Amino acid sequence: MAENQKKISKNTLNKSFNLWFWGALTCFSQEHMQTFGYLSSMLPIIKELYPDKKDQQEKIHAYTAFFNTNPMLGSVIIGTTASMEEARANGKGIDGETINDMRAGLMGPIAGIGDSLIDGTLIPILLGLALGMSQNGSPVGAIFYIIVWDLIAYFGQRFLYFRGYRLGDKAVSILVGKQGKAIRHAISIVGGMVVGGVLATWVNVTTSLQLKDSTGKVFLNLQKQLDSIYPGLLTVIVTVLCWWLMAKKHVSAIWTMIILIFVALLGVLVGFFNPGLKY
Amino acid sequence: MTISWLQACVLGLLACLCSNSCMAGQAVGNYTIGRPLVGGLICGLILGNVPLGIACGVATQLVYIALVTPGGTVAADVRAISYIGIPLAMVAISSRGLNPFSSDAANMAKSLGTLVGTIGSVLFYAVAFLNLVWQAFGWKDIEKNKLNRLYGVNFGWPWLSHLCFSFLPTVLMTHYGAQAVTALRNALPMDGIPMKTLFTVGAMLPCVGIAILLRQIVNTSIDFIPFLVGFTLAASLHLNLVSVTVVSLLFAMIFYEIEMFGAKNGGNGGNAATAAASSSDDDDDEEEDI
Repeated sequence: MAENQKKISKNTLNKSFNLWFWGALTCFSQEHMQTFGYLSSMLPIIKELYPDKKDQQEKIHAYTAFFNTNPMLGSVIIGTTASMEEARANGKGIDGETINDMRAGLMGPIAGIGDSLIDGTLIPILLGLALGMSQNGSPVGAIFYIIVWDLIAYFGQRFLYFRGYRLGDKAVSILVGKQGKAIRHAISIVGGMVVGGVLATWVNVTTSLQLKDSTGKVFLNLQKQLDSIYPGLLTVIVTVLCWWLMAKKHVSAIWTMIILIFVALLGVLVGFFNPGLKY
Repeated sequence: MTISWLQACVLGLLACLCSNSCMAGQAVGNYTIGRPLVGGLICGLILGNVPLGIACGVATQLVYIALVTPGGTVAADVRAISYIGIPLAMVAISSRGLNPFSSDAANMAKSLGTLVGTIGSVLFYAVAFLNLVWQAFGWKDIEKNKLNRLYGVNFGWPWLSHLCFSFLPTVLMTHYGAQAVTALRNALPMDGIPMKTLFTVGAMLPCVGIAILLRQIVNTSIDFIPFLVGFTLAASLHLNLVSVTVVSLLFAMIFYEIEMFGAKNGGNGGNAATAAASSSDDDDDEEEDI
């Protein structure tokens, strides 16, 4: 049967990619997460490789297992399974279990890398730039973000999908192997520094506490004192407090916000915080 | 400022398109239409005040600049932040006559957006729950070998979930909420304790968003150092974000080289070529991103 090698057409690959791009999470549930996005994106490929209806039903079962990853970077996994499915159709000793093991083994690392790379680094940088452009109510920043992000997202995912298809499981070794670890470490440095920059640029927690002597002269302006120690000290303290609560004390984000409300209320009552509101 | 039924319906439709598990794809829906900055622009267009919309979008975006949803757990829902919170914040700000670009207006938008967004995470779980029904249809379709119906399961039925838990809540909350927010203006004076607290919390809320992200990158206290260096560059040296990124790339490069050197000496020389290739790929990506 070697003379009769099956090959997925470019058209079908495009269709499969677009189904993933537009539908990775449309039918999301806590129980199956992205499983149905995966199923519908593999369906055109299954249909092309296996004309027989019974075969289709049998082969699609490989993709009914639970799946969840970062949808952006995850397109490399779909591309990889497309090439594995092609190999399976050509009888190259790959079965559904091999495909499933590969998927299950990759979704965790890819989710971790994708979340810190895309959500944690790329998006904060893009949004940080866009916020600066929109500071005075101009729509330029928002439009900048819409154009730049969507171009990166579409062509980036497309690139990953087709790279996954061409290289098979070799494509992901770059992401999860030794270099992958080094790249991730390097990116986490960029992410950390950018997040620090975003915090300093956009967030400003200040105190209004002032102590006056008997003549009404201010002898202690706490904010000025703090700024002379380390500019933005209070902002860092509040952020580290939130991190400590969530990471070390396992407080949920919502409870952390509620705790902040109490901190703010207490601070307002003792005069530590005063936003100086008036009409 | 009020929100008509028609305006509320348009906001409701956008909410369906952009929530986490959205109908317009993750990149376009959740990551574009759903981001508060973009939502601010769109709400501004719908409600007829783009500068105010953008101002609210900028303020609220700060809280969620680092919205990460690891493993499908959400602390806040973008459909509620962008298409319920921002419209209501716009009404609140204009009814109180605040300058849209003042920090008071920004803190107001942050507090309102975050409050609504946090409550809105219920909507996320509700949609995910109802989708289980359509998924059950999907399993049956596979059993009966009607595979084409899977497209309907993935792209058709979930609209019903969103009709119930995105469209309707958004329409009702924006239409009636606008009246409630205006009524609240008289109930809560600006110099009272509740409003002062609300505005103070608004200024601190972005710290939670940043901390959620830090949880991903900081494991031990030493990992705080890159974060603090970035903060110092911006706070003390007043570098802008692009400059901070450029400086950070240098550190990233050094760390990468060190780690690869260690890996190579660990007896894994074969990877060197691919490593070099992938590192140059990576640099290219980084430059495009900027």
